[in-house]
Amino acid sequence: MVDSKKLQDKARETLVRDDVRRLIGWKRGTYGYEAAPAVIKDASDAEALIFDPTCVQNPASFLTLEEKLPVPRGAEPDTRKVAVMVKGCDSRAIVQHLLEKAYGRDDVIVLGIPCRGVIDRRKAQKLFGDVGVAVSAKIDKEKVAVDIGGEVKTVDRKDILMDKCLRCRYPNPLVSDFLLDEEVEKFADDDFADVVEFEKQAPADKWTHWDEQFGKCIRCYSCRNVCPMCYCVECVVTKLRPQWTRRSTDISENTAYHIQRAWHLAGRCIECMECQRVCPVDIPIMTLNRKLTRDVKELFDYEPGVDTEAQPLLASYNPQDPEEYIM
Amino acid sequence: MSEDAKNEEFEPNIVAFLCNWCSYAGADLAGTSRMHYLPNIKIIRVMCSGRVNPLFLVNALQQGADGVLISGCHPGDCHYLEGNYYARRRFMLMHKLLEHVGVDPGRVNMSWVSASEGAKFGDVVEEAVTKAKEAGPMDQFRRRRINW
Repeated sequence: MVDSKKLQDKARETLVRDDVRRLIGWKRGTYGYEAAPAVIKDASDAEALIFDPTCVQNPASFLTLEEKLPVPRGAEPDTRKVAVMVKGCDSRAIVQHLLEKAYGRDDVIVLGIPCRGVIDRRKAQKLFGDVGVAVSAKIDKEKVAVDIGGEVKTVDRKDILMDKCLRCRYPNPLVSDFLLDEEVEKFADDDFADVVEFEKQAPADKWTHWDEQFGKCIRCYSCRNVCPMCYCVECVVTKLRPQWTRRSTDISENTAYHIQRAWHLAGRCIECMECQRVCPVDIPIMTLNRKLTRDVKELFDYEPGVDTEAQPLLASYNPQDPEEYIM
Repeated sequence: MSEDAKNEEFEPNIVAFLCNWCSYAGADLAGTSRMHYLPNIKIIRVMCSGRVNPLFLVNALQQGADGVLISGCHPGDCHYLEGNYYARRRFMLMHKLLEHVGVDPGRVNMSWVSASEGAKFGDVVEEAVTKAKEAGPMDQFRRRRINW
């Protein structure tokens, strides 16, 4: 567990630097099982920062959200750095951003936090119901201790942690300037069993599943907005000329939207699972992303968000690429 | 009407994206050589198979295509040197993704047809049509006209 004093001291130390504009981390939320993301500009506010298993959000999503307004004549653009706290999975988003040259390595200060897992709000709600207070939690190798308004409840890791944590391959940040804690041992692995299981179905059964799931979609675009990899200035799904998907929420347009979203993350998705977490109608969006992640790994031996020097998957090719489906 | 009789009557619509330099010329050769190929195909000429955005497929399937065919130059023969290599990667993944969503894999076809392979073009079209016929009419996420 990260010592919160150490974390806040480091944040203060970073924020007082002249070349740092702001710091993105987590603070305690108002209620519920999730912390809130915090953007802090002043060192005196650093005491609000925390890290515990309720810090599920991916702060790397915020790095690309800042609007780049035109600089007034005579003024210098603000080139100060942004500091960001990341868990292991979040750090892959930064690696992928760097690989895609969304910003330079000098533009960010990465405060890495080795992480043992974060709480899934939905699983917690099933266990303990809705809560009116802000929950805090502690985690060790086997158990998670959830503190709901002073009442501590201990549960098994697999009952409350997010699915991504139960198959986490990168608990330690892959890129960081400062590590705020000792590195943790890798505690899980990913065999894509869920994807393999789903693939066994006949096409008609797969469609029955997706027909129901996509039919629920209200096209709020939360999954796109929260995604750290979706940072195009103009998104293809909201573009009007040419209009790729119409705005109506029927099964045809919803399906097209979800295929587009998954497709644009092919070879880029770093599996932070934010899309599925924010979905208001509980669509298992990650199933599509994980399918592509698995295929990309198998077919092209490529893993996004690991190596900043790699080429983007679909902007490169290998003459020996598989082509078994080509007639 | 029995299931078999339905299938007999069903003639699929195939949208084909052919590259200007090889496959379109191949289709042209098939035509000028008076070879017979199935008329279910609607050809869209593009400059390179690498120009075909995989979202074209989704759009075609939404707008009434029962199958899609993308055809370009053989690997190594691309007029733009590497366009078909990029296309191969893209469509491999799109093929897998559509399959995962439940679209019959026979609806998405890709082939390499050079300018001299008129006969092969005929075979490719026939195969695409056969597969689309087996898959039946595409009604999963076709756009429907809304009656207010």
